[in-house]
Amino acid sequence: MRVSRTWATLGGALFALPLALVSADYATRAADHLDPPTRTDKDFDPTPDVPADIADVFAWYTPTSIVLCVTFAGPQPGNMPPFYDRDVLYTINVSNAGQRTDPEFQIRFKFGFDGQSPGVRFEGVPGSTGPIQGPVQTVLQQGGIKAIAGVFDDPFFFDLLGFRETRSTGTLAIRNTRDFFDKQNDTSVVIEIPRSAILNGTNPLDVWATTARFGGNL
Amino acid sequence: MRALSLLALVATLPTLTACGGDGGAAPRPAPVQTVAPTPTPTATGTSFNVTPCLNQQVALGVSVTNLVIPDTVKLDVTKPNGFPNGRQLDDPVVDITLAVLFLDLTKHPANLFASLPLNPPGNEVKTLTVFPYLAPANGSPPMPPAGGTNFNFRTDAPSAYTSVDRMGMPAVATALISSSQKNPYNDSTPADDVAGKFVPDITSTLTGLTNALADDFQRLSLNMCAKPV
Repeated sequence: MRVSRTWATLGGALFALPLALVSADYATRAADHLDPPTRTDKDFDPTPDVPADIADVFAWYTPTSIVLCVTFAGPQPGNMPPFYDRDVLYTINVSNAGQRTDPEFQIRFKFGFDGQSPGVRFEGVPGSTGPIQGPVQTVLQQGGIKAIAGVFDDPFFFDLLGFRETRSTGTLAIRNTRDFFDKQNDTSVVIEIPRSAILNGTNPLDVWATTARFGGNL
Repeated sequence: MRALSLLALVATLPTLTACGGDGGAAPRPAPVQTVAPTPTPTATGTSFNVTPCLNQQVALGVSVTNLVIPDTVKLDVTKPNGFPNGRQLDDPVVDITLAVLFLDLTKHPANLFASLPLNPPGNEVKTLTVFPYLAPANGSPPMPPAGGTNFNFRTDAPSAYTSVDRMGMPAVATALISSSQKNPYNDSTPADDVAGKFVPDITSTLTGLTNALADDFQRLSLNMCAKPV
């Protein structure tokens, strides 16, 4: 059996989280973040691939830059560690010319360890002169590029339970006072890139993310 | 704010003003487990044609189909920021998506549900105005030892990895793709989307949802984009 090394599992051993606490966490991990369910949701998969589960993809612009953000491995309550798994390859695809489905840029990032300390490595960032790497939870800079990987608040807000009830019953049951993602965290990556490095005139950008696991699905 | 059902919300629509994207949100209950997968809703008797929904214009020259296919976040820097032009952290993507999928946009604005709002009005904490933009983590997550310089990153080629997940637009993979197609969808590419590989599934799922929810929309005097067949 191949063992995937994640800091979450290391952290679980290091901090000896009480079983009851871990169980409480698992009781909350039913979200559409967990998609596709048979790979990432413990309700449908006895070995859910939490680190490779993309939660959301964000893209917006500032007067000088384009900001790309991918959240994953969530939602997790505030007493759970982040997920840094060296067997997962994350890719942010960006198309700025020609077919909108052919990426001109493939920004890849992955995690590794120096002893128990996790680091992140970004490759293919537009405008970069080479890989950008360093410790997690640290702003890494190269020229005008900024990048970070770490655990942050899950920015999504949505009454998931109401939506699921709506889907299963056919009766609208969504409430604006019930946020499934309240007080939840994700492991996340944010990259800020100078406009001049990623835009192609006024062509629109198409952005999507993928994850893949070394050695096959869990 | 007390918990309100959609019925109650829409009943109070004339007295509500647009809600900002952040601030003012009351404490929300902790999430609880749900085990329901994504079943096909039961039809209510009337069947609908959702083609008008997929063809309706969200913006000049941009149809709902254009937003959903290919499954990418589309960002045009010549137009204002804000979903569906790109996606900012605080954008009410679910309420906007529900509106453009179900409502007749010639009769209702795309932000109708977001202005109520139907879902929670925003994130429970403020996002940052500067990098890294995301708000700090909640609680006290156990953190790994900091530092390090000699990391053991894998050097394997991307072809050595097996696909797990893909995502672009919110709600497409999760809400419009049926359970049986979720793995194939996540293993496919936006080029497959454009080739129409999942159009029948998306249409079927949207039709099922529309058939099931039509009576609710009609009771609320909301004009649907779908037409009875």
